Amino acid sequence: MENLKTILEEIRPGVDFDTCENLIDGHILDSLAIISLIADIEDEFDITIPTVEIIPKNFNSAEAMWKMIQRLTEDEE
Amino acid sequence: MTYFGPEYYLLFLPAAAFLYAVMPRKARPYILLAGSYIFFWLISEKLICYILFSTVSIHHCGLWLDRIQQERKAAVKAAADKEEKKALKKVYERRQTLLLIGAAAVHIGILAVLKYTPFAIRNANIILEQINIQITPVKFAAPIGISFYTLQAVSYITDVRRGTVKADRNIGRLALYMCFFPQVMEGPIARYAETAEQLYRGEQIQYKNFVYGAERIVFGLFKKIVIADRLNAFVKTVFEQYDRYDGGIILLGAAAFTVQLYMDFSGAMDIALGSGRIFGVGLPENFRQPFFSKSISEFWTRWHITLGAWFRDYVYYPVSFSWASKRLGAAGRKRFGNYFGSMLSGTLALFCVWLCNGIWHGSAWMYLFFGMYHFVLIFTGNLMNPLITKLYEKLNVDRDRGIIGALRIIKTGFLVVIGELFFRCNGLKKGLEMFYKIVTGFSLKGMTTGVIYKSGLDYLDVIVVLAGVGAVFVISVLKERNVNICERLGEKNIVIRWGVLIGAIAAVVMLGAYGGEYTPADPMYADF
Repeated sequence: MENLKTILEEIRPGVDFDTCENLIDGHILDSLAIISLIADIEDEFDITIPTVEIIPKNFNSAEAMWKMIQRLTEDEE
Repeated sequence: MTYFGPEYYLLFLPAAAFLYAVMPRKARPYILLAGSYIFFWLISEKLICYILFSTVSIHHCGLWLDRIQQERKAAVKAAADKEEKKALKKVYERRQTLLLIGAAAVHIGILAVLKYTPFAIRNANIILEQINIQITPVKFAAPIGISFYTLQAVSYITDVRRGTVKADRNIGRLALYMCFFPQVMEGPIARYAETAEQLYRGEQIQYKNFVYGAERIVFGLFKKIVIADRLNAFVKTVFEQYDRYDGGIILLGAAAFTVQLYMDFSGAMDIALGSGRIFGVGLPENFRQPFFSKSISEFWTRWHITLGAWFRDYVYYPVSFSWASKRLGAAGRKRFGNYFGSMLSGTLALFCVWLCNGIWHGSAWMYLFFGMYHFVLIFTGNLMNPLITKLYEKLNVDRDRGIIGALRIIKTGFLVVIGELFFRCNGLKKGLEMFYKIVTGFSLKGMTTGVIYKSGLDYLDVIVVLAGVGAVFVISVLKERNVNICERLGEKNIVIRWGVLIGAIAAVVMLGAYGGEYTPADPMYADF
């Protein structure tokens, strides 16, 4: 989770990723930020995020992203 | 029949609402479905067959996808080892993707053939002229609303493939999602998950929903009939006879068209959302005070929101995360860093989005130009963003507030007006000529010598338009400050509330631009 927060803070400094739950719906992460974020997550956690997973529900909070990463890691194992 | 004509308010909507209210809950969705098909028949007659075909085909494809997904589950569960599971997943994923591509290709193919064949033939003939070959021009009649329901159909089938919605076994519910009468002509483009259940719930008409819906409808009518239709003659005159005017009047004409388009389209959305609300259905918002945007990319998150969101979810992200785009992005990030590297794949996707956006709006070069114009503006904005952010940080200035914020709003408004000039012009060549006149022949002389009053607007028209735009502006400021006007009005006593509603209806009736010297303008987005 800490690795994920480091990635997020690099992309959007100054956002409280512990509490924020509307990163997409609140336009805090725009489309370019999402591209960077997905590339970084894929590199860091050695997973592939399929297009079907790129929905606001999975990216609205750090918690939701972490759950998605765990699920995809289990799928790949 | 349109959403702005008396037959909709005096006959169609009251009849639909009455039958809906008196029928038992289970029958209500079918009253809406029957009403929607009658509405579609009234606007498109026998072309209704296209929406029927679309509905049946996505219903079938959805169930087919569901079957593949069930088979996949069972096969993966029964697989002996990890390798076999992986191989099976791949096979079933491929099968689903092929089915999705096939279904989307059929729907977009129908739209393309019906809408773009004459344009394609016209341009092919220009090239083929060199070798003395000509294709006979053909033109197909397309049902009104095809561009809207096709996107809804593609979104449904893609969402089933993605697993974000379950395939609907009930074809009646799916049919209602596809053709609900308040939205079938001009949108908003809803997702299955947003409206299908609400539509099928058959909720009884509530007094609160009825009044809120009626208020929203009257506001929409005010925008369309009092403001948009009043500007129609002036806009038409300027765009048709631009060679008679100086750059100042042409710019004013483009600004007037931008206001007309906003009032027309957002007015239609108010009527769609208001009509939906009467039946207890919350359709997605399509506008969020777009003229308060501080950049073009922000503008497109506030203007025709459901179209922008559709392109984001079904074009931008799939292209951004395609294999080729990922490779491009990875190489770019290594060479140019995180931001500019991501921009490479983002730009490729952005180009596809604006190409599709331009084409979706119509089969003419000016629409393609309109799309590319916005692509260039957003691309430039993305490119300059890190530099500008740093600059403002160094100057210790908040660019979203104060005078800088206001200047950014004005700059965005100007860029939007120029874009709309190309959107409205009668051919790209004429659009470029108009733009050239604005740049080289700008003058305020035409505005001060009363040219406007000889171009389709009289003194009273100007006053009504300015007062109307002022009223819409005040309401927009309140909405921007999260003031729920309907709720606030609902807190007042019944005399004030109904007084406001009746006063607004009276304003539409007395100030509306209809009859006599006014030519009613067709709903602008119904043709797209």
